[in-house]
Amino acid sequence: MRRLFTILAAITAILAGAAVLQLKLAVQERADEVKALANKIHADREAIRVLEAEWAYLTTPRSLQDKSIRFLALMPPTAEQILEEPTTIPFRPRGVEAEEDPGVLLPAKDREEKNLKPKREKGTSL
Amino acid sequence: MRSAPSYAGLSFEGQQKSALEVARNRLMVAVLLFFAAFAVMMVRTVELGLSTPEETQVAARHIVVPPVTFSRADIRDRNGEVLATNLESASLYANPQEIKDPHEAAVKLVSVLQDLSLADVEAKLSSGRHFVWLKRKLSPREKWQVNALGIPAFYFQREEERVYPHGRLAAHALGFVDVDGNGLGGVERYFNDRLADKTMTDQPIRLSLDTRVQYALTDELEAAMSAHQAIGAAGLVMDVNTGEVIAMVSLPDFDPNSIGGSAGKERFNRVTQGVYELGSTFKTFTFAAALDKGVATLNDGYDATKPLHIARFTIRDDHPKARYMSLPEIFAYSSNIGTAQMALDLGTERQQEFLSEIGLLQPSTIELPEVGAPLYPQTWRKVSTMTISYGHGIAVSPLQLASGISAMVNGGRLNAATVVENPDAWRTGKQVISQSTSRKIRQLLRLAVTKGTGGRADAVGYRIGGKTGTAEKAVAGGYDTRALISSFVGVYPMDDPRYVVFALLDEPRGTKETFGFRAGGWVAAPVVKNVVLRTAPLLGVAPKREDDGLYHQVAMMIEKD
Repeated sequence: MRRLFTILAAITAILAGAAVLQLKLAVQERADEVKALANKIHADREAIRVLEAEWAYLTTPRSLQDKSIRFLALMPPTAEQILEEPTTIPFRPRGVEAEEDPGVLLPAKDREEKNLKPKREKGTSL
Repeated sequence: MRSAPSYAGLSFEGQQKSALEVARNRLMVAVLLFFAAFAVMMVRTVELGLSTPEETQVAARHIVVPPVTFSRADIRDRNGEVLATNLESASLYANPQEIKDPHEAAVKLVSVLQDLSLADVEAKLSSGRHFVWLKRKLSPREKWQVNALGIPAFYFQREEERVYPHGRLAAHALGFVDVDGNGLGGVERYFNDRLADKTMTDQPIRLSLDTRVQYALTDELEAAMSAHQAIGAAGLVMDVNTGEVIAMVSLPDFDPNSIGGSAGKERFNRVTQGVYELGSTFKTFTFAAALDKGVATLNDGYDATKPLHIARFTIRDDHPKARYMSLPEIFAYSSNIGTAQMALDLGTERQQEFLSEIGLLQPSTIELPEVGAPLYPQTWRKVSTMTISYGHGIAVSPLQLASGISAMVNGGRLNAATVVENPDAWRTGKQVISQSTSRKIRQLLRLAVTKGTGGRADAVGYRIGGKTGTAEKAVAGGYDTRALISSFVGVYPMDDPRYVVFALLDEPRGTKETFGFRAGGWVAAPVVKNVVLRTAPLLGVAPKREDDGLYHQVAMMIEKD
């Protein structure tokens, strides 16, 4: 009876010790994970700075204008195309078909021509 | 417990036995106590393991993310667009003591960094010192290539580089920094201490500039400058109600990313530093002063039949009508003769006082180190009064002019010009002319465009008002009739002014399209028109049918002939 009790106690102690150790290791692992995440966040924030600068560089209005002239069929809007109140647009009369949307991309033929001679057009055509 | 009776039976008797008994019993009590305690703990552990806790309790854990630190704060525009930022870069240095074959190392290095000279690098590497700089601020690609050489004696030092992603755009307002990151011009210099303040590097400075408007103005001025073969150009867009500068362009410009290659001429900020005799745009101030002080009313007029002679000067009109003109006509047709007479009625003292009050006689207080002081005669004679009334004999910066015009049209409040975003600036404004005078000036400016010399600035739908200005350039001993400063100052929309747009061309030449003319109405007004057409939608000004009633009364007084 006494021996059995001693053995039981020993086993319990060993089990408890193992469990605590395991718990400690798990916590350690989590803590490392958190630290790694924090470092990653730091690295990402630095990368975001670089990307923001790169984004600003790539979307500088001058290069956007060049690309728009080269690839898009869009023209600067005239005063008549700008409405303050969308409600002033009348409803389309019944039976009148809408014209097909020509899309905003330049036809491929024009685009190739412009790519061959990427001469910059000045914004004064406005 | 089993051995206890045998002990008792062998040698211990009486008192000895009972003492042992007592000790054993006491021990048993302690054992039981311990056992009970352990039992409680076990029960509690089992209970914790089996029960589902109602809410997970997490130990308060402070997670520290290492902050991204840079030695200089960013500069952003009013929409948060990055204008200047610090990025990490690497500088290359070597420890020549560790290099066995300097020649081979130098050849390898120069093959990667081709802008270094072989002889120079070899001399450095065989110098026997412990530390030599080889190249500062490498690009990430260069750094990678140097690492790929696999020479152990090369090291990198982490450094920061100031980057202006928009390149030349707004270079004059931003300024530039030296290789150690100290601001040497523009906002970079004016706010150097704030930008380098260690506690505030994560808070960017927000400028009042709008990158999109800045580009539209740059693009149009560049086009006009090359079309008219001008030697320089300047432009400005300002919010009339707050004095915030939305765009500021001075051409030729420079690239703040590579400041080494730019000359002083390119770094010169024509908008704030350059002072020019701006010509007839000044008539706006003479009219405002005369109307505000009650010297003249819109129903008055002056005789502009023949040129005025005063001292050794002759005052002529560029668009002579040779007749009696009403005040609106004098303004719309830009008559120097009429304006000069009005200035005489106003008087030298009151003119001086008025110009001083609207800040044309003091340098601007804008947050830039490059600010030019206005030039005007020390002794203000009668002839000065007359010429200054139409913008000759006084040189001010375009920025001062724009601030003054803002005050004339926004209801009479003068706000200090600023390049820092400050939507509350209107609170500190100072009333310089009355509301009703301001209303009259708006009418005059609008009519100068619809009926007068500024017709080529009329952007359909945006109700632009404005005044042309053409002045001969002052050279030693007089004026150079071949070199002009042509400008136009526009305001829109005229029924509720929001923005001043100013354009100036330095020594423009006439073209076939302008029939050889090079005055402000021909070369600068179209720039303002294009800029308004491009930027009004961005700035939230919608085109509208004009209310002619606003100008009817004054328009009746302008005769076309």
